[in-house]
Amino acid sequence: MRETLRYVASRLATTFLIVLGAMILLFALSALVPGDPATALLGPAATPEYVQRFIQEMGLDQPWYRRLFSFMGNVFVGNLGTDVLSGQPVTRIIANVLPYTFILTFSSIGLAVAFGVPLGCYAATHRGSLLDHLLAFVSVAFIAIPSFVIAIFLLLIFAIWLDWLPVMGAGEAGNWFDQAQRLILPTIALSVGWIGFIARLVRSSMLETMGENFIRLSRAYGLSNRLITYKYALKNACIPTLAVLGMGVGRLLGGAVLVEIVFSRPGLGRLMFDAISTRNFPVLQGTVLVVVLIFVLTNLLVDLSYAAIDPRIRRQGSR
Amino acid sequence: MDHFMSRRAFVGASAAALTIAMSASSSVSAQPKSSITVRIDRDITALDPAFRGGPHDANVVRAVFQRLAALKVDGTGLELDAAAELKQVDPTLIEFTLKPGQMFTDGFGEMTAEDVKFSFERFAVAPVDGKVSPYKADWAGLTEVEVTGTYTGRIKLSAPNAGLMTVAIGDCSGCIVSKKAVLERGTEHNTHPVGSGPYQVASVEKQRGAVLRRNPDYKGARPAFEEIRVNFIQDPKTTELALRSGELDFAVLPPSIAEPMRGASGLSVENYPGLAYIWLGINMQKAPFTDMRVRQAVRLALDVDQMLLAGFNGKAPRLNALVMPPVLGYWKDAPVYKRNVAEARRLLAEAGQTSIKTRITILNQPAYQSMALVARALLQEVGISAEVDVQEGGTYWDAGKGEAGKNIDMFLMRFNGKLDPSFLMQWFTSSQIGLWNWQRFASPEYDQLAQQAIRELDPAKRAEIAIKAQQEMDKSAAFVWLTNDVAYVVRRTNVKPAFLPGAIDWQLDKFTPA
Repeated sequence: MRETLRYVASRLATTFLIVLGAMILLFALSALVPGDPATALLGPAATPEYVQRFIQEMGLDQPWYRRLFSFMGNVFVGNLGTDVLSGQPVTRIIANVLPYTFILTFSSIGLAVAFGVPLGCYAATHRGSLLDHLLAFVSVAFIAIPSFVIAIFLLLIFAIWLDWLPVMGAGEAGNWFDQAQRLILPTIALSVGWIGFIARLVRSSMLETMGENFIRLSRAYGLSNRLITYKYALKNACIPTLAVLGMGVGRLLGGAVLVEIVFSRPGLGRLMFDAISTRNFPVLQGTVLVVVLIFVLTNLLVDLSYAAIDPRIRRQGSR
Repeated sequence: MDHFMSRRAFVGASAAALTIAMSASSSVSAQPKSSITVRIDRDITALDPAFRGGPHDANVVRAVFQRLAALKVDGTGLELDAAAELKQVDPTLIEFTLKPGQMFTDGFGEMTAEDVKFSFERFAVAPVDGKVSPYKADWAGLTEVEVTGTYTGRIKLSAPNAGLMTVAIGDCSGCIVSKKAVLERGTEHNTHPVGSGPYQVASVEKQRGAVLRRNPDYKGARPAFEEIRVNFIQDPKTTELALRSGELDFAVLPPSIAEPMRGASGLSVENYPGLAYIWLGINMQKAPFTDMRVRQAVRLALDVDQMLLAGFNGKAPRLNALVMPPVLGYWKDAPVYKRNVAEARRLLAEAGQTSIKTRITILNQPAYQSMALVARALLQEVGISAEVDVQEGGTYWDAGKGEAGKNIDMFLMRFNGKLDPSFLMQWFTSSQIGLWNWQRFASPEYDQLAQQAIRELDPAKRAEIAIKAQQEMDKSAAFVWLTNDVAYVVRRTNVKPAFLPGAIDWQLDKFTPA
């Protein structure tokens, strides 16, 4: 237990360094990006006085490292700054869109696991069969097609031709049914690529595990094929899949931007994209910080879950 | 073991539930409309009239706040709104009397002349917390709003301002806020505005838009719809699908998206000449464009009609000078330049320029890219080799400003307009060099005419001044006017929208069932 705590503590320290590194990069690059944020945000009607005030409020008259110190100092007291245009705290803006991002990310990953793992298992246990070949083809196709293309096809089929599901938005606040309806298509659009990827990964991991000595021994003991496949082989094959899922969650948190735009859903990805294109630095800094933090923490959780699945890792940890 | 539900029963129940779920959206659209959904293409930033972000915010602001008098739907003049009387006593003095009993929402009490004073003076004369409004120029010349009674007051100007009624008083900069609410709510007033207009803001959510509900205490004409959802939809293709599916009732779209929707069931597509101006600008202070003959050659080398065909499928009207038809000062006889390759080559040879390498800076939007590509091909024929520099918004809008502006060659630009010639003319004065006058067009005659146009209250004389100013611009050959844009309005056939000429400025409270 003490070893685990030490491990978690060291990973948290690394997390801090990663976040700091990401923020240094962001601030340094922001200073190099061409384009004046005041112009981009305020437009032609802005008076010189307002532009000047705006520059001061955004801290753009300061060198980037001073802005970074000031930003990190504020982060420790829970203040991510203020969106200079709307006057709203960045924490509130992020808190408003974060639930949508979480729901979409986890439902997509959940759906990908729900389909990808059984398909991968089936392909591994029926290697060389017609269905295995078909799955190999379909999986690669799923991986190759960009999610926004799938999104547009889904919209055309299910929202326009069949008129079964709504086109856009995240649903009315408090209306769970409406929200669930509007989650279906974006979830499918995002998860399709991951289904293919997970299916391929589970298949290859399982095939590798099936060739190991302990599986042969299990067969020699006369254990049923079902037990060997789903209890021993799948459990071992899960470890690389888990690692990929950790990365997947991180990527979807900030990377679902195109699907969010196509379905007109709020989300962290869109928030970040808009902030970049309008040079809205306070919002951009806050969003990047949150995305990096969630990404690193998710991967920490994934690492910890290895130990729960594989006793060998637990034992290595304790040594 | 007893099962709670057999597999077959489970599958059946799931299918039934799914069918109900999926049919819900279509059954909703069959109900009579008490609410409508309209699309804005940019996210709402601030709903405080003095700090509104752009036309997308302004369209909500107009529905939430009252003005002393508001622009009529056709843009031909003003009609009284919060004021019972509004009188121009002399060129620098306007008197007003408010209607009594006009209440602000959220319990902020009755509108008084003190609120009017606060609303107008905060733009520049007495900014709250030192925050000067970006729309300060709308109130140019305002010295004071004197309160003479609970409902009466006098707007005093230092000099006449001919555009004041159209640009400020009758539109968003003339919206009357509750002094108490603004001071109490501070920046929260951007997302929780307190107005007295036909609608009140029920909610504003980042990346989603706003929900407006009918204001029960509004004393004017009752709006037709109980609720208007103003949805932020970034992607035009999603907007198209939402219109087709019946989830959206009204949107303004680019021609390439809107045209194919003609004839779609339940939809109506109408196009209106825009109130924006799009042109190709030439930096007069950068060699070789310092030579008038080179600029004239560029103008003659280009074929505006071909460029419009590429950028707008030929659906946008051609513009030949700064001021477009519905605006006072439209120059009907402005020269229509036709492509003349021989003359362009002759001018270049005369200027000693036989091989020019240049760059056209544009915003990364399909219409501009298409037009720039055509321009490049046309210029090539007269010996001008142009590179098209496509930039995203953040970089583009800075390209002609400050020191960077000295190095820009040519660019495609679009500005939104208003129904006032001075508003259109203001960006091209010498004082705007380094800001928005990217041509670096410096003409003392133009500057003087721009000043005169603001101060002249006689419409006929003002129109004459505006035409003279456009002639000055034409002489410079630094502007190749392309179009005043085209607005494609796509709507459900059971909704009748209301907007000012150009279809950028909407009057949501006047939307009605068709």
